Amino acid sequence: MFDQLFIGGLATGCVYAVVGLGFTLVYRTLRMVNFAQGHVFMAGAFLGLVIAERVHLPALPLLFVVGAVAFALGMVLERLVFRRLYHNHEVFIVGSIGLGIVLMNGVRVFFPEPVPFPKVFGSEVVQIGAARFQEGYLWVVLSTLVLVVLLHAMFTYTRTGRALRAVAADAEIAATVGVDVKRAIALTFGLSFAVAAIAGVLIGPLYFVSFDMGDMVGLKAFSAAVFGGINSIPGTILGGLVIGVLENLAGGYISSAYKDLVAFVILLVMLIWRPTGLLGRETPVKV
Amino acid sequence: MKMRKLIGAITVAGSVAMAVSAQAQDIKLGVVAGMSGPGTSYGIGIRQGAEMAVREINAAGGIKGRKISLVVVDDASNPAQSVTAMQRLVNDQVDLVVGGWGSSQVLANMEVAERAGLPYIVVGATNPKITTEKNKWTFRVIFTDSVQAEQIADAAVRRLGMKRIAVIHDANDYGVGNRDIFVASLKKIGLDPVAVVPYQSADKDFTAQLSRIREANPDGLAIFGTIPAAPAIMNQARDLGIKARFIGTGGLANENLMTLAPKASEGTVLTTYFHEDVDPQARAWADRYVKEFSGGSQPPRPVLAAWEYRAVKFIAVPCIESSGTDKEKLRQCIGRWKGTLFSVPGDAYFDKTGQLVQQSVLVEVGKGAFQAFKGK
Repeated sequence: MFDQLFIGGLATGCVYAVVGLGFTLVYRTLRMVNFAQGHVFMAGAFLGLVIAERVHLPALPLLFVVGAVAFALGMVLERLVFRRLYHNHEVFIVGSIGLGIVLMNGVRVFFPEPVPFPKVFGSEVVQIGAARFQEGYLWVVLSTLVLVVLLHAMFTYTRTGRALRAVAADAEIAATVGVDVKRAIALTFGLSFAVAAIAGVLIGPLYFVSFDMGDMVGLKAFSAAVFGGINSIPGTILGGLVIGVLENLAGGYISSAYKDLVAFVILLVMLIWRPTGLLGRETPVKV
Repeated sequence: MKMRKLIGAITVAGSVAMAVSAQAQDIKLGVVAGMSGPGTSYGIGIRQGAEMAVREINAAGGIKGRKISLVVVDDASNPAQSVTAMQRLVNDQVDLVVGGWGSSQVLANMEVAERAGLPYIVVGATNPKITTEKNKWTFRVIFTDSVQAEQIADAAVRRLGMKRIAVIHDANDYGVGNRDIFVASLKKIGLDPVAVVPYQSADKDFTAQLSRIREANPDGLAIFGTIPAAPAIMNQARDLGIKARFIGTGGLANENLMTLAPKASEGTVLTTYFHEDVDPQARAWADRYVKEFSGGSQPPRPVLAAWEYRAVKFIAVPCIESSGTDKEKLRQCIGRWKGTLFSVPGDAYFDKTGQLVQQSVLVEVGKGAFQAFKGK
């Protein structure tokens, strides 16, 4: 039973981690929380569904296409919506919650009922020890690994990545040395949309997709980001995995009634004990 | 320019509203159900059943020359919102309400109907607490969990020969109500369930619960829940290698079950509220209904549509015809109602608690559809 709970939790944890990355990316750059993130994850799943139903793409190209479309969508929404909001944190929070509601109800118009997702990642059942799970779980775990490596490589080795990090560290100084701050912020939104949408496609075939699927995942991913340190990428990944595994173990060994409680208790304890998160650093206040 | 357009639009909307209220002669039939959220596949059926009945009655000249106008409100499958939804119907001065989906929602919104003195015929909620001696204005046409859970417990042991039965149930009023009666009925027969685990309505991943069930090695798994959780549980149970046969009650009686769990749902035995093979009238109605609602954005869902249709056409309308729209007279008329309905074997009537007494139907999922259960 432990194997099953652990591996299942690991896969869900990966999804929390990847969606949580979206929170982290935006937070690092703007010091603001984009509460539409969970709904972007949901919209990504439906984007994948719409594409997969029309064109028969193998798994990898499908992930790539969805990532690319979501990236473009993130850039566009940044230009149309977020850019007008991020001058003020309160305005941004309310605006992003509003955008999430718009996304959710926009999808709801076309898909009022939960729908099955085509089994793009195969439907074979794999057995490891006493645990049995769909191939899709492996895809979730492997894709998360690949995504994290890619993001890390981008931030470390590419010019754009370094520009993003510079803006994250200090936008004013980055601007004075010639970094296009507006473009960097737009790219950040593009990236955060892309990762959330990819997570949506990964999880789609394992469950059904429904317009409200982003609610809980968004909250858990946010908890994951806060747990690990909302300005730290490794922290968020760690946070997602810990929450995913712990809630599954609690659900199996204690009672499934307390499953959702785990993530939020972890969040509360963390906020009281260490508000910067496990691996997060305190942001120095500029005077 | 923009402003002028806006004012124009408001004026148009205003005059439409006037035109509607000018026909105050209309009988207003309120429908409340979850037309979004987890209850969507059920709520849509309820709405379609009401639309079909009202269209037919109006086409035939209405009730003594008065047309019926439908007031449909969506409660988003949420108990808190269903209170507001019912309040809207009260404010809209509907003459009666036929609808309601989900035990938690109905338990919440029936209070509003009771306080306002509004006749309310419930078609889609099964918790026994809805029809007790306390409800004066609330009636229910589908049978309760006590009937269904007891019947399925009996069928599981005596007809399906199950010996190790596990239970997974939604932690809401529907799931808990069913679990309690099911477990008690099993005990009466002399069997203890090998595992009983709850889940939350919004859960997507059931590995935690199903791992525990797999440890118990059951030969039957009772699922007391609704769409989309129930088909997700079926799919994931099969992935985990659980081979137990699934059984359940009315929560599973929705065609979306076979869409969402095409392979896993095969062989599931459940109690249901309507089946087209019970009599020729039921079959004729189902064919007409499916024809009318196929091809739309939402597929037809006959099970609850049939109850909504029958409750409107055979119970509510004859009562309005004989007693008018005076709410007290209408309530008494519904309480006295006795008659036959298609797909219900024998006579049906309301008991003292406002519960429609009737025989129930057992079905089995086979070849992607609900088939009349032919087991031993």
